[in-house]
Amino acid sequence: MSERSGPSRRRFLAAAGAATTTGLAGCSGILGTGSESGGGTPGIGDFRGSGAIVEDRPAPGGTSIEDLPDLEGELAIYLGGGEGGRYTTLIDLLDRYYDGFEVSQQTQPSSQLANIIVDEYDSGTTQADLFWSVDAGSLAYVSDKGATVGLSSDATSMVADDRFATDQWVGVAGRSRAVPYNTNQFDASDIPTSIDALATRDRFQGSLGWAPTYGAFHGFVTAMRQLRGEDGTREWLNAMLDQNPARYDSEYATVKQGITNGEVGAGPTNHYYPMLVFAQRPDVPLDLAFTENDAGALVNTAGASVLDGASDPELADLFVRHLLSAEAQEFLATRGFAFPMIDGVEPVGPLPTIEELSPPDLDLQSLSDVQPTIELLKDVGILS
Amino acid sequence: MAASERLARLRSAVVGGDDEPGLSLAVLAGAVAAFVSLPLVALLVRASNYGFGHLAGLLSETGSLDVLLNSLSLVVLVTLGCVLVGVPLAVLTVQTDLPGRRVWTVVAALPLVVPSYIGAFTFVSAFGPRGDLADALAVVGIERIPTIYGLQGTALVLVLFTYPYVFLTTRAALLSFDGTLVEAARTLNHSRWAAFKRVTVPQILPGVAAGGLLAALYALSDFGTPSIMRYEVFTQQIYVAQRSLGVPEGYPALLSMQLLVVVTVVLALESRIGAGDTSYVSRGSRQPGRIELGVWKWPALAFCGGVAVLSLGVPLGVLAWWFQRAGSAVFEFDPTVAWNSLKVSVAAAGAATVLALPVAGYAARSSSRFSEVTDRLTYVGYAVPGVVIALALLYLSTEFAQSLYKTVPLLVFAYVVRFLPQAVGSVRSSVLQVDPKLTEAARTLGRSSTGAFREVTLPLIAPGVAAGAALVFLTTMKELPATLMLSPLGFETLVSYIWLVRGAGSYGAAAVPALVLVGVSALSMVVILAQERYNG
Repeated sequence: MSERSGPSRRRFLAAAGAATTTGLAGCSGILGTGSESGGGTPGIGDFRGSGAIVEDRPAPGGTSIEDLPDLEGELAIYLGGGEGGRYTTLIDLLDRYYDGFEVSQQTQPSSQLANIIVDEYDSGTTQADLFWSVDAGSLAYVSDKGATVGLSSDATSMVADDRFATDQWVGVAGRSRAVPYNTNQFDASDIPTSIDALATRDRFQGSLGWAPTYGAFHGFVTAMRQLRGEDGTREWLNAMLDQNPARYDSEYATVKQGITNGEVGAGPTNHYYPMLVFAQRPDVPLDLAFTENDAGALVNTAGASVLDGASDPELADLFVRHLLSAEAQEFLATRGFAFPMIDGVEPVGPLPTIEELSPPDLDLQSLSDVQPTIELLKDVGILS
Repeated sequence: MAASERLARLRSAVVGGDDEPGLSLAVLAGAVAAFVSLPLVALLVRASNYGFGHLAGLLSETGSLDVLLNSLSLVVLVTLGCVLVGVPLAVLTVQTDLPGRRVWTVVAALPLVVPSYIGAFTFVSAFGPRGDLADALAVVGIERIPTIYGLQGTALVLVLFTYPYVFLTTRAALLSFDGTLVEAARTLNHSRWAAFKRVTVPQILPGVAAGGLLAALYALSDFGTPSIMRYEVFTQQIYVAQRSLGVPEGYPALLSMQLLVVVTVVLALESRIGAGDTSYVSRGSRQPGRIELGVWKWPALAFCGGVAVLSLGVPLGVLAWWFQRAGSAVFEFDPTVAWNSLKVSVAAAGAATVLALPVAGYAARSSSRFSEVTDRLTYVGYAVPGVVIALALLYLSTEFAQSLYKTVPLLVFAYVVRFLPQAVGSVRSSVLQVDPKLTEAARTLGRSSTGAFREVTLPLIAPGVAAGAALVFLTTMKELPATLMLSPLGFETLVSYIWLVRGAGSYGAAAVPALVLVGVSALSMVVILAQERYNG
């Protein structure tokens, strides 16, 4: 994977260099109506992010919103997670796109909403039509408990990769664990395809960074626990500790302050943290690699399902199709640097497509079992 | 007990009248008490449904004993800390010649206007790893400051924003006791210190204990601060338990029951220390002479200033900094959010006041056992943390009243249960202050007891009733856990909005609503202080 991301990144940097000369004003003037302040229908320019990193993207393929039936009526959404308000922005755009369409929503951590949805389903008090969650585990939990109704094939068939489309829920935006690294300190060939090598190779002694208090890290360790058990995970954590990694408060800080500034050379983070740094400063000595078939290559996805008891399940299903539209997928790919779920929209910049990743075989639902992970991290002495 | 004497006098004043209003009042008061203790009953029922064996098993399995230990450590530390900060401040501002005493009195009480969860996340922002202040300190070479997370940070923040309870009650006790007593001790050859120890301390102890109780209950019930500071206590665990998939059934209920036991123990402890002695509210006419500080003036000023910087300077400074840094994002704030806060707060204040009138009126008129029970029952919400009330109401509504589940009325009900004691306390104390002779006079002039109440008592207690309503309104505005757990889908308030953007790390967007909440809390302070004056 790392072999591949090197050259593509150079292409990306060249494009970024060209783009900066034409200004960073974004592309709303060219591609869309740019109706931020006006009342017009949002165009692709409103959906797409701005900045050098997305400047020269082709128009997205796939099904355009224009080709989908109109959203009409009121939709209640339980929004699990929400990526710092980004999903709300997308909801607002769709809300603005149609006159007769109103959305109400409630945002809470996704696993909490999953519990609430199941409780509500059990007691016949379902509140929402749609569950839109940042992680597949919560979606799977809810559908396993029977609290969803099936999606139409119109919706499920839009998703390119079968792994992210069940008849109860579909993925809308993928993410992966990754190993960002400082290109002044490491070559692409230095970064191993196994997460174990990070913990064992002398090469990484004193030059790793991580954010062990961070939720995304806990998810990663939870995945490792499921894949190789408690003892194997403990062994990996202890080996990592022997490498004397620098601690950061968040994975974004690990990348931005640690790896980009050269305080450390590499570290395990979610794939979009290095992308966020790229987006702000395309000239940094930063690249990212992916391990294979272990917890370090865990792929998860945000997704959506229609809830049993929804007052308008057809509308909710149609909304899911809108999330998989060319415009919405372009939004998620360019603003959140997610792996798109449909053919016709490519991931941004140096990212491979999600089909090119080699994630481990893991039931994503088991990722919600975080408490033993916390205990383990405390036991090993990583958390206090 | 001064209060019960007054109660008895009031009662004798209406003795010989018809008993009908008393009876209907008793029924009303009883109904209100039953109504607001409903959530607690529901919780007990739910816990008992799980069975003792199951809960006992959970106790050992789930590490809830650690949670108990954590909670106890926090309560002890916070209470001690509040006494150590609040009592010296009270003594300094009341009994010494500290320069600028009036200003320091206001400044020392002001931290109450910062909701502790807002204090907590401004502290995390300033002192957390890679926080603004940590960065500034790194520039001057200070690389490591002790972590703000965990017990130390939680206790620090809670002390800084709850010590005013101890400060205010101690101050009230100091102001009210008879200064001639100290002078008498002095004439009996006691040094100032000995006089302070032998006369002042016993006099103000009930006041300190009352403030300490408030601080302890606050520390036990606070949900926001330990959540932000990542310290595992009951409230935080009850909330988190809802959030992990596959939590053992009954675990939140078990934690709630343990929390209630701890609350009960704290209440019992306080009633022993306070020994039911409310002498700190009785007032002497003379103040003792001021203690001259001399050179001690400087450390005293440094102490007052240091507390002010930490408890006011840091949160307000950080909020101002966010506000300034957020730029245009500040104005993306949706006003319907504030409107929603306003609506539920007005509803809660109205409902709590209406419900408080019969309870407080009955408690003031009758010294029967039943009136005491109804009065005490309405105090349930005062001791039961918001998380527990919300949990109980979720259970109650999904099991028995599905149409109420996650509706505004249910949310308002939670607020009423939680804050009714404020309204009852406020109304009752103003009823007690009405000179019974006035009612007697009205009765001799041929008014019925209801008529006398309407024409004499009600106009006299109106300011107290209004103050109680205002307090409920303002505390509802900033209530956190029940708001998070019970708000209907799509119903966002200032508090839930702040919690949401904080979770997403976009502090700038929280600046305006957080400042609004601080303003709201400041207003509630004004009401409390005005009422203190009114009661005096």
